[in-house]
Amino acid sequence: MKTEISRRRFIQGTVALTVVGASAAATALSKAEEKTKIVDFGLTKTSFSTNVQEVPTLCEMCVNKCAALARVEDGVITKLNPNPLFPKSRNMLCARGNAGIQALEDPDRLKFPMIRVGERGEGKFMRVTWDEAFEYVKDKMVKIIDEEEDNRSTIGYCAGEGMAEHTFQSFMNKKIGLKNFVNHASICLATTMSGYALTIGGYGQADLENAEYVIMAGANRAEAIITPDTMDMFKRTKGSGMKLIVIDPRFTNTAAHADKWLTIEVGTDLAFVLALTYVSMTEESYNKRYVEENFSDFEAYKKHIIGNEYTPEWAEKLTGIKADEIRKVARDFMAHAPRSIYYQGRRTAWSLQDFQLRRAQAIFSAMGGGIDQKGGIIFGDNIPLGKHEITAPLYTNTLGRIERGKAALIGNNGSWIAWRNTIIDGTSPYPVRALFAYKQNPMLSVPNTAKTKQMLEKMDLVVVIDTMPSDTVMMADVVFPESIYLEREDPIKTFGGAEPSIALRKKVVDAKYDTKPVIEIMRGLGEKLSKPLFEISRKYDEDLQEEIDDYDAESVFKDNGYDLADGFRHSQETINHHMVTSKHGEEAWKTLREKGVYYPNMDKYFKKLTVNNYEYYPEHKKSYSVIEGDLVNESYHDTCVDINEISVLKKTFRTETEKISCALYNLEEQKGVDAMPKWRDELYTPTPKGKFKFVTGRHGQFTQSGTSNNALLLDLLPENYVWINSRVAAAKDIKFGDMVEIKSSIGSIQIKAYPTEKIGNNVVFFIHGFGADSDELSLAHHRGANDNAIIEDKYEAIFGAAAMHETIVEVRRV
Amino acid sequence: MARYGMALDYKSCINCKACESACKEENGILLGADKHRIWVGVNDIAGIFPDLSIGSSSFEPSQCQQCDNAPCQEVCPTSATYYDDNGVVRVNPDQCILCTYCMQACPYDARYIDDRTLTVDKCNFCSDTRLANGETTTACQATCPTKVRIFGDLDDPTSEISQVLRDREHYSLKEHLGTKPKLFYLT
Ligand code: SF4
Ligand code: SF4
Ligand code: SF4
Ligand code: SF4
Repeated sequence: MKTEISRRRFIQGTVALTVVGASAAATALSKAEEKTKIVDFGLTKTSFSTNVQEVPTLCEMCVNKCAALARVEDGVITKLNPNPLFPKSRNMLCARGNAGIQALEDPDRLKFPMIRVGERGEGKFMRVTWDEAFEYVKDKMVKIIDEEEDNRSTIGYCAGEGMAEHTFQSFMNKKIGLKNFVNHASICLATTMSGYALTIGGYGQADLENAEYVIMAGANRAEAIITPDTMDMFKRTKGSGMKLIVIDPRFTNTAAHADKWLTIEVGTDLAFVLALTYVSMTEESYNKRYVEENFSDFEAYKKHIIGNEYTPEWAEKLTGIKADEIRKVARDFMAHAPRSIYYQGRRTAWSLQDFQLRRAQAIFSAMGGGIDQKGGIIFGDNIPLGKHEITAPLYTNTLGRIERGKAALIGNNGSWIAWRNTIIDGTSPYPVRALFAYKQNPMLSVPNTAKTKQMLEKMDLVVVIDTMPSDTVMMADVVFPESIYLEREDPIKTFGGAEPSIALRKKVVDAKYDTKPVIEIMRGLGEKLSKPLFEISRKYDEDLQEEIDDYDAESVFKDNGYDLADGFRHSQETINHHMVTSKHGEEAWKTLREKGVYYPNMDKYFKKLTVNNYEYYPEHKKSYSVIEGDLVNESYHDTCVDINEISVLKKTFRTETEKISCALYNLEEQKGVDAMPKWRDELYTPTPKGKFKFVTGRHGQFTQSGTSNNALLLDLLPENYVWINSRVAAAKDIKFGDMVEIKSSIGSIQIKAYPTEKIGNNVVFFIHGFGADSDELSLAHHRGANDNAIIEDKYEAIFGAAAMHETIVEVRRV
Repeated sequence: MARYGMALDYKSCINCKACESACKEENGILLGADKHRIWVGVNDIAGIFPDLSIGSSSFEPSQCQQCDNAPCQEVCPTSATYYDDNGVVRVNPDQCILCTYCMQACPYDARYIDDRTLTVDKCNFCSDTRLANGETTTACQATCPTKVRIFGDLDDPTSEISQVLRDREHYSLKEHLGTKPKLFYLT
């Protein structure tokens, strides 16, 4: 079919009102001027300078870590290009990856350490030296920990995903001894990671390069880019090898590539999967031999599914998907198995039944035999790295997490919502008086912004490490500016999968401002805090007192890890060097520094196939099937997964059945969690007539709230719009671009409308990440709307993961 | 000398706009949504929810068609628009007087005004930024996640683009106008 479309584009306007001068002018402009003018900072045309270097690095505009080659001309980065050597990113950089230069040049960046001078939240700060900032934090911390009698857990900390997240966490947890940690898992992928780990032994990776039939429900890989999934699948959709079935109440860009798109009532995915399972079981179309050999409690599950009459007709009533469609999908899935996948999903914090949904998906997928199989969900291999070890002191007076008991299985990554609510609702067993936030913006990222604000207001100390003056930074007492990814070397990382490799984020240019990488911030804090905190422990910790009696204070301090900076004194480069060479030798290190990527035999295996495509491993060297004998593996390609966290679950799983687990009886006995996926009416709220369920989502040109001030990306999408069915909109007299109010039980926002037939009549949707309140973000400030101002703080009962698609809203024109 | 063209496997396009931002960064194009050498056309979907026609929704990445018979070049009074040795239609800003005849003549709406130089600008296959440095890919091609673009020499029968155009069906935009585009959409 031919389409001829002009350059004029939809929902695309310009942020720029006027255009002024060239690069350097940017920083010289006053804030007032910046608000009305846009500068072409960072858009330096590639020239013919003879002083050109190509420096390998890894992108940090989102979590994927694509390999990039920065072209540096006379010390200026003029372009970020894809580095073809990295199997995971397959020779690509997305729009955000290209816009990394803007992140470096953004005039609103945090440029130096600051201490708050006005009221908290007022956004008034004064510039201080790093030493003054560390000193300030030390004084506050010493006072708080002393008053809490060495219960270190009175200091909470949170982090967003990133290569240095572990550095931050090691320092806070292992060295200072803090237990109250929350990260993005419970507002993102906790349910799917755990659901798959407990059921098939790991989240694995969907082999979309070889799958023939893929059900993608809710996930939107065309817009929420995940590597290599996005690249692998869309080269193969539209009749090029992969049949794609999209289940989504929105017609997304992913749906535009589907063979079949089925809309579904929000919150009923579990019913759909149970019915698929019912069909395959009753028609006996599943892979019997595979099931017999690899499943545990399959017969019980079969009895459960059939006994509960999870028929397609039953599911039709809930999901709105025709029973015949459900039958057809189940049959087609099994016909293509084992090269068929029910895609796991990423940000799966949707409903109150999410954990069982992921379990049901995993079991259904496995019934086709496509686990640890080419074209199915694979676990892959990984390349080991040496270890960087630190000595962790023991603190006897430190108490456990405050929100334990608020959900069945709260792990080390916590439940953001339960944790925050515990702090503000008075149910905390002890006060949490301070918060350290690294690379996370809970003001915008956690459902119910008002409550996050309330929590931060209660704190005696809020310290934020970030690159941009986010809404959370505005609530800080102390701001530690982090160098952006192009200005720092990060911990070396190994990436597992069918084609494993090691990749390095190397510093490309010197820090532009008075900023530091996390390891140096931890070092600075460590130097300041060690002695005074040791003295507090000495005062309250009887075990420590005894030890000091037996030995002497100085040697206990040194040998037992109370010197907090120890382990953080070496440069990142030195640590990386050790981690690589101890396993792979100097040659590998040299390769990494020159090329950014290393894997054994790369020089032999890596081949250019076409102008665009490369081969990383010969077919017979790819690690599709890795499991021998049992279903346990140690490698996860994934960058958002806390291996320690999952491995705890894995061990339980391992001792229980060593098989694909249909039933988790121990969990039922000990924690009251349904042993088998079960539809529970009481956990489902149908949408009342005339109202809407709100769904949120991600976008291909924005990463959460982190890129919301990026001038180049704002050219592509200047603000978020709410999708509302066009007929419903017409009845409410809402036209494109009209301002509407969306109101839930916890708050309301205003946003421009996008009436469309791409969404049903009882759902509204807009993308996450917009609507910043911070005055210091001159481009992002009050642009579009913040979804978490209206998303209710409901969480599911197993992991305490957010249930972001359970909010009922009303819409009206304003 | 070469005769450069580009084949687009446009059905793989996911409208991610990596190509648009890569072009801006590579070629120093001004910020602003209306300043661009490259864009993705979106066909609004036909049908009423939930009976939407998937096939009617498509993404069409586009840029200057590098016409062999370019109306923009014909109307340019100062010869600012010219064919270079590789058959690439280029604009020499030193000679451009901003009469904008070319913008009106271009049937593909491929040109815009660069407010810094007050001259007309458009895609030049990264001739000055990449090809002149000996590179063999354009910025938009190299960065694309789904590898929509194949750039190469149409005069070289062994080039990948020549082979693809022999092997696969393709069409060009507004063929009836006789502009002879060197952009080919693979079907
Ligand atoms: S997907 Fe895009 S933003 Fe994310 S790491 Fe890759 S290039 Fe960077
Ligand atoms: S980069 Fe590729 S997939 Fe993305 S919009 Fe451009 S052509 Fe389409
Ligand atoms: S597409 Fe337009 S600008 Fe490009 S060569 Fe053809 S007529 Fe000229
Ligand atoms: S070929 Fe170069 S100039 Fe043309 S659109 Fe692509 S990146 Fe821009």
